[in-house]
Amino acid sequence: MTTATFESGSQSGVKRFLGRTLPYVLLVLSISPIVLGYAWLIIATFSYRTEGLFPIDAAGNIGGWTLSNWSFLTDPAIWRVTLNSFVLAVGMVIGVGFVSSMAAYSLSRMNFAGRKGFLSLTLLLHAFPSVTLLIAIFFVLNFLSKIPAIGAWFGYNTLGGVALVMISLDLPLGIWLMKGFFDNLSWDMERAALIDGASRFRVWWEIIIPLIKPGLAALAIFNFLSGWSAFLIPFTFTVGSKVANLPVYMRQMISDTAPTNWNMIAAVGMFQLIPVLIFFIFTQEMLLSVYAGGSKGGT
Amino acid sequence: MAEAVMGRKVIRGQKPPSRWAQFKATMGAWGFMGPATVLVLVFFFLPVVILFVISLTDLSSSNFSDPLTFVGLNNYVRLFRDRFFPKILGNTFFYVAVTLSCFNVGMALLLALLTTHINRRAGFFFRLIWLLPRITPSVIYILMWRRISHQPPFGLINQLLAPFGVEPQYWLFEQPWLFVILVNGFVGASFGLILFSSAIEAIPRDLITAAKVDGASTWQSIRDIVLPMIRWPLLFVTTYQTLSLLTSFEYILLLTEGGPGLYTTEVWALTAYKRALKTYFGHNQWGYGAAWGFVLVIIGIAMSIIYLRVFRFNELVQEPKIDVL
Amino acid sequence: MKVELENLTKRWGNVVGADSMNLDVKDAEFVAFLGPSGCGKTTTLLMVAGIYKPTAGFIRFDGQVVNHVAPKDRNIGMVFQSYALYPHMNVFQNISYPLKLKKIPKDEMQKRAQRVADMMGIGHLMDRRPAQLSGGQQQRVALGRALVKEPQLLLFDEPLSNLDARLRLSMRSEIKRLQMGLGITSVYVTHDQVEAMTMADRVAVMKDGKLQAYSTPDELYDRPRTLFIAGFVGNPPMNFLEMEVVRENGDYHARREGFDVVIPSDRGEKAAGKGNVILGIRPEDITISDEGTPAEVFIVESLGRDDLINMHIGEASIHVLADPVLGLKMGQNVRLDFNTHKVQFFDPTTEKSLLWA
Repeated sequence: MTTATFESGSQSGVKRFLGRTLPYVLLVLSISPIVLGYAWLIIATFSYRTEGLFPIDAAGNIGGWTLSNWSFLTDPAIWRVTLNSFVLAVGMVIGVGFVSSMAAYSLSRMNFAGRKGFLSLTLLLHAFPSVTLLIAIFFVLNFLSKIPAIGAWFGYNTLGGVALVMISLDLPLGIWLMKGFFDNLSWDMERAALIDGASRFRVWWEIIIPLIKPGLAALAIFNFLSGWSAFLIPFTFTVGSKVANLPVYMRQMISDTAPTNWNMIAAVGMFQLIPVLIFFIFTQEMLLSVYAGGSKGGT
Repeated sequence: MAEAVMGRKVIRGQKPPSRWAQFKATMGAWGFMGPATVLVLVFFFLPVVILFVISLTDLSSSNFSDPLTFVGLNNYVRLFRDRFFPKILGNTFFYVAVTLSCFNVGMALLLALLTTHINRRAGFFFRLIWLLPRITPSVIYILMWRRISHQPPFGLINQLLAPFGVEPQYWLFEQPWLFVILVNGFVGASFGLILFSSAIEAIPRDLITAAKVDGASTWQSIRDIVLPMIRWPLLFVTTYQTLSLLTSFEYILLLTEGGPGLYTTEVWALTAYKRALKTYFGHNQWGYGAAWGFVLVIIGIAMSIIYLRVFRFNELVQEPKIDVL
Repeated sequence: MKVELENLTKRWGNVVGADSMNLDVKDAEFVAFLGPSGCGKTTTLLMVAGIYKPTAGFIRFDGQVVNHVAPKDRNIGMVFQSYALYPHMNVFQNISYPLKLKKIPKDEMQKRAQRVADMMGIGHLMDRRPAQLSGGQQQRVALGRALVKEPQLLLFDEPLSNLDARLRLSMRSEIKRLQMGLGITSVYVTHDQVEAMTMADRVAVMKDGKLQAYSTPDELYDRPRTLFIAGFVGNPPMNFLEMEVVRENGDYHARREGFDVVIPSDRGEKAAGKGNVILGIRPEDITISDEGTPAEVFIVESLGRDDLINMHIGEASIHVLADPVLGLKMGQNVRLDFNTHKVQFFDPTTEKSLLWA
């Protein structure tokens, strides 16, 4: 007690520093690797080569800005790969959105035999480490390849197959998240629609879906990003460049035996990152809510 | 008499359609559930079964077309006798324990406390920056980290530390674990950060004010009020992230592929993946890899059941307030 | 349309929502389900609507069992407390939704929706979204939506609870007027006894999932069959005093400490010689006068038009309505005159009325 009073004069400065400034110092320090990484990426895309954060020209001096790294944009391959990425992302948005909002609706709002069981299962799968199943999924896709008609679209080494796997593995989270949104809807509204003469399907489609658009949008953004950025599953279940998406294409550029042009890879990375960052800027709060909501288990 | 007649008429007229209606209604509900059910069966259930069956065979890319040869539990025996088994097990424990405590929980908690302590908008900004690694495509994210830890003259660390007289070196090569943990930690921390900060923001301000009035220091109010109030998110993040880390390998695969050298940063999930699907020599030992994978599946199922029990998720489930389908 | 409920029961596990309800609603009749929250009135209504499936018992529409008929096939209209309008549709789309589902041609749909909207006085708001409407307007849209398909049965689930007091009063008479004009059989759930008593032809009083009484408002008020109904119906509630009724010199006296009142013989004879009974009398049936039972003013509450006064008669406490002009003060001694033609008597153990068994 006495010491505190005694030292209060000199302490207040230190205390203010601790209370006000220190958190900022720590936080800025904490994000420095992220900022550095992004800074390098941007610099690298516009220079011949980099040493640390400095662009270096042929003579070894600082300088040498160039747009040549972006020459890949004239290569038709990149556009096919981009299209693949886009198809995968849109496939994820539609697939997970549609399937999980249907399942979540009936889990949240309908009383049917098997409901409790499926709900517990969803919860279990929500926590389940699905990547451990990739080995076995390889065989499932191989089997699907052998089925005529379906195999050409959804088998091994097809975009459809990759999309199907990614949609399935994201379903538990999607269902759980959508169920949280459905749980909060008014029961009276649904009752009113039923009395007005709607079937459950029409209630879902005409009344409920329009009401949970914000939830669907959040889920769509989340799935677009995960489809657009997907690496492990496309990498595992595709070979060659025909069905590669952007991350796999980048990876293939690295593992080539020829000397790697890192700065061009950085440019491809930047190219892929642009839609992500645009999404990020416009939908930050929705994204935060998905991460918070999805992990809490709905509500 | 009249009543009895009526009662019988009721039974005759009503019972059969009721069962039919019930069946139709249940089918209607399963119509909604249909697509999800099929996908879950094909991509969760079937794989678990297949994984187990394969783990009992010596299936590999060299005998793929031959009929399956069952080898009993040989793969499991081989797994435990593997020369690198102790190394991989140790690596996995080390990786999960350190990443979890330092980043996924420790850093997340520290950041949550800091970002809720400062100005709201600034706190939101820092949380967003921390979310970036999570949404950055993994290949690009790893590219950044490789460059940060690269050998001279390319690496960012070397350049930054040069003025302080630190000997330039190939950081990723010299300190592979440091970077494996940093790379995973920077992605993992944002999960806990978001949950913890929303939990902390939900604590009534009065409680903290009351503690301050009672003369508690910042540290005391954190220990006595904030931490007890967020113990559920803490427990949740800890269990959930343990499971995620235990089975995650994408970033390690991209960063070090388990190296440098023999099994330096190889973890269990990566072993399973590499054995079965991506070997250098093109020789995929599916049976053996499946055994590694199936052990993880068992651990995963056990842990998810425990965590569902602990968090009593069943109680979150409410009854539908409409009976008809 | 005639509605009959026979032993209608709804249970969720051990929770009983409605327990063996038996009642009938005549064609064009307006029936109110009245009771405190959780009494089973809404559960019963939702079973009639087809939203809940009965655990046991039968629902009959015009003699036909409809237990397993889907809500959309019951030809009913329902109005909810929360209005339950579709927020993403405008007023016209809301009102015409039931017609759209019936695949009524566009121009006829337009005509019918407009007619109903005009009847409800919201014909000029057709392009608005529910969020742009006041509470009263929203409730009119909800009513319009319920009426547009010309249902044979109208169900109301506390439709006026979310409105402010003044609007509630005008909507009350409007709903009643509409119902009488259209002659649609109606069931109206409410916890507000004034609503039930003023609007309904018959009132079903419910408590803990059980039907307590089912009769006309006047009968409920003047001839309550149980202690619960006597206490529940009427505001301010009836006073209850435990006492004994004895016959002396041909007169029936109701007596307790500090209280001795002569009861008319038609009522007195039914309570006499039964030991302790409960006497019930409404606050408005007690007047302050120059002679009668002495009492002491304890608390004076102003209700505006009247004062509600809590008085002590010996140990007992009763409420009395008095004219504010009297200017009664705490501690003042007055005398009370009881309108003995209105007293009720109840058996304290069975809680049943001794007068209207």
